Amino acid sequence: MSATTVAGRAPAVKKQRGLSDTGLARLFLSPSVLVMALVAAFPIIYAFVLSLYLYQGRLREGFGGLENYTEALTEPRFWDAVKATFIFTITSVSGEFAIGLGFALIMRQAFHGRGITRASILVPWVIPTVIAAQLWYFMFSVTPGFVNHILGLDRFNWLGEPGWAMFSIVFADVWKTAPFVALLLLAGLQTIPDELYESARVDGATTWQRFRFITMPLLKPAILVALLFRTVDALRVFDLPQVMTGGANNTESLSMLVQRFVVVTLDPGFGSALSTLTFILVLMIGVLFVRALGRDFVVGTGGE
Amino acid sequence: MSGAAVRNRIGGALKLLTRNRYRFPSAAILLVVIALVATGCAGTSPEDGGGEGGGELTWAIGGSEAAPGGVHREIAAMWNEENPDTPIRIDRLPDDAGEQRQQQSLELNAEGSGFDVLGMDVIWTGEYSVNGWLESLEDVRDEIEEVSIPGAFESATWEGELWAGPYNSNAGFLYYRTDLVDEPPTTWDEAVEMGLEVGKKEGISPFVAQGAQYEGMVVNFLEYYWGAGGELFNEDASEVLWDEGLALEAVEFMRDSVENGFYASGFNTFLEEESRNEFQSGKAVFLRNWPYVYGLASDEAESEIAGKFDIAPLPTFTGEGTISALGGFNNAVSAFSDNKEAAKEFVVWASTNEDVQTLLGQSSLPPTMASVYEELQDDPVMKLLGEVLPDAKPRPPAPTWNDISVTIQQEIFPAYNGQKDPQEAVEAVGAFLEESIQE
Repeated sequence: MSATTVAGRAPAVKKQRGLSDTGLARLFLSPSVLVMALVAAFPIIYAFVLSLYLYQGRLREGFGGLENYTEALTEPRFWDAVKATFIFTITSVSGEFAIGLGFALIMRQAFHGRGITRASILVPWVIPTVIAAQLWYFMFSVTPGFVNHILGLDRFNWLGEPGWAMFSIVFADVWKTAPFVALLLLAGLQTIPDELYESARVDGATTWQRFRFITMPLLKPAILVALLFRTVDALRVFDLPQVMTGGANNTESLSMLVQRFVVVTLDPGFGSALSTLTFILVLMIGVLFVRALGRDFVVGTGGE
Repeated sequence: MSGAAVRNRIGGALKLLTRNRYRFPSAAILLVVIALVATGCAGTSPEDGGGEGGGELTWAIGGSEAAPGGVHREIAAMWNEENPDTPIRIDRLPDDAGEQRQQQSLELNAEGSGFDVLGMDVIWTGEYSVNGWLESLEDVRDEIEEVSIPGAFESATWEGELWAGPYNSNAGFLYYRTDLVDEPPTTWDEAVEMGLEVGKKEGISPFVAQGAQYEGMVVNFLEYYWGAGGELFNEDASEVLWDEGLALEAVEFMRDSVENGFYASGFNTFLEEESRNEFQSGKAVFLRNWPYVYGLASDEAESEIAGKFDIAPLPTFTGEGTISALGGFNNAVSAFSDNKEAAKEFVVWASTNEDVQTLLGQSSLPPTMASVYEELQDDPVMKLLGEVLPDAKPRPPAPTWNDISVTIQQEIFPAYNGQKDPQEAVEAVGAFLEESIQE
């Protein structure tokens, strides 16, 4: 009798616990997914919806479909900003990568005072960007003009000449974020076992060969992560050009253009279209990186 | 988000928490600390000045005069002494007027009550009133109109209605070095000739002004354009009077000035303060700037040219008369203020109290009260302002002014720096002006 009761109960209990492992996981994950959706997806969708409407100042005039997009894509100012953003991204990220890799290789060597070197190299990265931008503005500006003073130039107008204005901004960005790249690459370098170098040395490999055939391939995932972070960041650059040139002399970035239309000369529809275009652009480049990265991770784990 | 909004939010959280303070003592203490830090120099917790009747007013105004020690602070202190029930606190906005407008419009666009009194550049009147951000001041119109100078009063109105109390006016001066130049130039050609000659001899720059890509450059450009005889709109802004020939003359002058070195190197990166610093450290012969420079450049501790400079009206192309852009700030009552009555009282007081207006004048900030000019006649800045202000031209305070200004910046800046064809730039501005009145 009692056995039947127990036997009869057991399935009932099992039914009560009827969620499969996946179902349970979904249930537990749903709050965070919901929060993510609210925090991340909602603004994106909302910006897209806004971008479909036409505005006159802050007043909505009606549904415009893709009109804001065609207007943006035929606007020379948009393409100027795309060009400026790409020039900035390519030059600053390559500069940061070259210098960051150099720093990382130096910091990996054991030498006296390595701890202090590592800490001090990070100082520029810790300074808030706006403050760094204001600092470099004073450095490059004609008055007081520290850069001119150091280089012995009289009154060279770094921030007022097209080309040189962009150079100054890129310089400031490289100064600021090369340490960050160095940190990421250093972390990558430290995962490469010393035995590999030892056996290569035993086999008579030169320094260059060790760098080319051991360091570079094994560092590739870390390099891709560093480049992904920096590229996506650089594509969204705002503070440096905003503070240093205000967008004059062909230094207006995409984010500045978006800010102009969302805040300065209010046109929420057009501004949202611009920000959606920027988002798509950054997303595409991000996806390309993640793809390259994903393949590499698979190759990497396979190798181990 | 503005500081005021953050503080309000913290204040709200504090209220909620203090109700249960026995249950969450540490959290409450932490929040009190945060709130105190956030209110910082104001020295009062938001609870003291909360929204219930009376209470503290917030005055959102920017510029160096809003900094501690600035004249706006003194005026706020004067008010607080007379009105301890409704004290006013300055929420300091950035120096650049464009950024001040952004801060205010973010708060007002969200219908936030963080600002009670808005320190408003004369060119924002139309935009703010059309957006429904301002409380009308029609019921106090007479007492304000009676005492204000007409140009300043006009700048506080839009479509015949009064939206703000005139506070301070402004006009451009030519500052020149009396130790290097005997007589100030009356035409731009003369200025170029003198500037280049003296500059070369002394090894300094001939001329500094506001040339960066921002509102100040638009003002400088318009002074050339107006000085050449040009206009933007007719009286009621129903017709565009943009003259491409005259605009081209102005742009060509600026472009030549870059090429022949009349403009200092770095001219196209200078705002008010950069150009003042150049002149004040003795590195330029001429400076175009607002009256506020006079006091600072006369300060022997800070300035290398104290006693070695004087002011004159800005030159024109023909040498006849003078022209200046009319600047200045008015105080308006936010439509979203929790304390409109007290805010309105403050605005009227700042416009019509002789002591307030005299204090402004003594700080080289042009007052808007006519009687003060008679009183301060011996002051050189006031004397020159008396000459210049009647002819000063306001930028149209239209709701679309900001868009127009940005377009002028976009077109004229590259044109005068040799990166764009001047003819094309001038045509583009004309086309935009036409577009702006059709909307």
